[in-house]
Amino acid sequence: MSGLQKSPWVIHYDASSCNGCDIEVLACLTPGFDVERFGIVNTGNPKHADIFLVTGSVNAQNRDVVRNIYDQMPEPKAVVALGICATSGGIFRECYNVSGGIDTVIPVDVYVPGCAVRPEAIIDGVVQALGILEARRAAMAASTFAAGVMMIERATAADLPELLAVQKVAYQSEAEIYGDASLPALRQSLPEMTADFDKMIFLKGVVNGKIAACVRGYDDGQGTANILRLSVLPYFRGHGLGRRLVTAIEAEFPKAKRFEIFTGHRSAANIHIYEKMGYKRFKTEPFNANVEWVYMEKKSS
Amino acid sequence: MSPLWRLLIYLVAAPLIGGLLAGIDRRISARMQARLGPPLLQPFYDVAKLWCKEPLVVRRSQNFYILFFFVLTVFTGALFFCGSDLLLVFFALTLSGIFFVLGAFKASSPYSFVGASRELIQMMAYEPIVLLTAVGLYMVTHSFSVDTIVGSAQTPIILLPGVFIALMYAMEMKFRKSPFDLAASHHAHQELVRGLTTEFAGPTLALIEIAHWYENVMLLGWLFLFFSIHWTLGLLAVAVCFFLLLVVDNVCGRVKWLFALRSAWIMTLVLGCGNILVLWLLQVFGILKLS
Repeated sequence: MSGLQKSPWVIHYDASSCNGCDIEVLACLTPGFDVERFGIVNTGNPKHADIFLVTGSVNAQNRDVVRNIYDQMPEPKAVVALGICATSGGIFRECYNVSGGIDTVIPVDVYVPGCAVRPEAIIDGVVQALGILEARRAAMAASTFAAGVMMIERATAADLPELLAVQKVAYQSEAEIYGDASLPALRQSLPEMTADFDKMIFLKGVVNGKIAACVRGYDDGQGTANILRLSVLPYFRGHGLGRRLVTAIEAEFPKAKRFEIFTGHRSAANIHIYEKMGYKRFKTEPFNANVEWVYMEKKSS
Repeated sequence: MSPLWRLLIYLVAAPLIGGLLAGIDRRISARMQARLGPPLLQPFYDVAKLWCKEPLVVRRSQNFYILFFFVLTVFTGALFFCGSDLLLVFFALTLSGIFFVLGAFKASSPYSFVGASRELIQMMAYEPIVLLTAVGLYMVTHSFSVDTIVGSAQTPIILLPGVFIALMYAMEMKFRKSPFDLAASHHAHQELVRGLTTEFAGPTLALIEIAHWYENVMLLGWLFLFFSIHWTLGLLAVAVCFFLLLVVDNVCGRVKWLFALRSAWIMTLVLGCGNILVLWLLQVFGILKLS
């Protein structure tokens, strides 16, 4: 029993249109319908929410807002599109500024049509989302245990935006160690990453269809393979994913005589892992006032 | 009962009672708003749910502070229910509150900051009266020790009505109820976006909730000291106090921070200090003899 089905906290957002559906969402909270009977609470904070209720046809101005709210919600989460505008764009579908339905921006789990959508239908939609939430939770629990069955594959160009997102989330902990958000891994843009992609081999670690970790490497042409930007999402750390990725990328360079890797001087956890994998430090180089790179090498066996 | 047994009972029973009280709170509040309200065990479902959510953070170190907040809150209650010194309990409570604020500051978001600064202001507002309570109880029973106060022949409420009323005013802040839910409001008030707890999600939020349960039980224990002459009477009085807090919560709108601070200090000065002054004068002139 997870309690998830008995305590769905919702956040609602009105992505333009006539506001009618949004008012119906609030009507659900009133004594007439009282959704708190089912433990449903309107949080107003994406970080506390389980179900995202979106009304209205999303337009160019609030695409990013919808995306942002969705991204800030912790897993497991579900999205319910309320009203015909949110479902398909409704009568605003042909407008020049309207994207036409929430599913053009974020993945939608339950569609509840209506103009305006009735409170009974909203409650029904949330109840359907509960089943989806429960399935996600089970999948999540399974994926934590399934970290051992991570699939390692070569990344494709289509993976790059997701890889960049994983890298930026993963490097937050590094930024925190050094109190410095200007680390190159955090500053990298998509075009820069695409340029890297043309020169390097990218590996991704996939757990349950989602990228949980990545690494990249290149051969410098003189027998040294450089391994860079090992990133593991915080949620998946401590399961040996990083180590398996490094082993996999080493295998991508069968001709390399030595492997080289670097990290910051205060990243004790990274240094420890690399040392356990047979890397030895051979030089340090100051990067900026806060960070000093520690270079480590390993001879190919 | 030996302190060790009391400690064990407290550790197990306090979250259960606290959670149940939160459930009763939500149900009574709903009834006052002509709603049916959630099941009685809803707070437990909420915490169970939060426990299996993704532990999302801004900075991982923010959870470290919350862990300390939790441990110190439990520690505060443990001191209290083992019959320790009231002053020690008071300062441990302050320390746990400070860790919560530090956690919110560490999360570095504007909402979290606003919540944290408001919490600091609230602490300034309610701490004088909580401290005065300890002083008042000492004057009546000649002891700061919880055990001695409970065992005393005096009934503090009779001699300290002013202090008690001012303390109830401060309790409204400690329980995070309207009109003083400035720093982090409870359910169905979302215009503050949850203040202090804005940036906490998943298991950490569950931990904050459980700490809040422990804290509430300790605070109700604090109120019990005023009625310690008889167990049943005392528990009944505490239940009435809790109900009063809920009534005030449901009939009041939120006030501004300056009003909260000023009014709390005025209550402390007039009712709290006034009460203690009168008690002192009565003793000086020999009208009242406390043994």
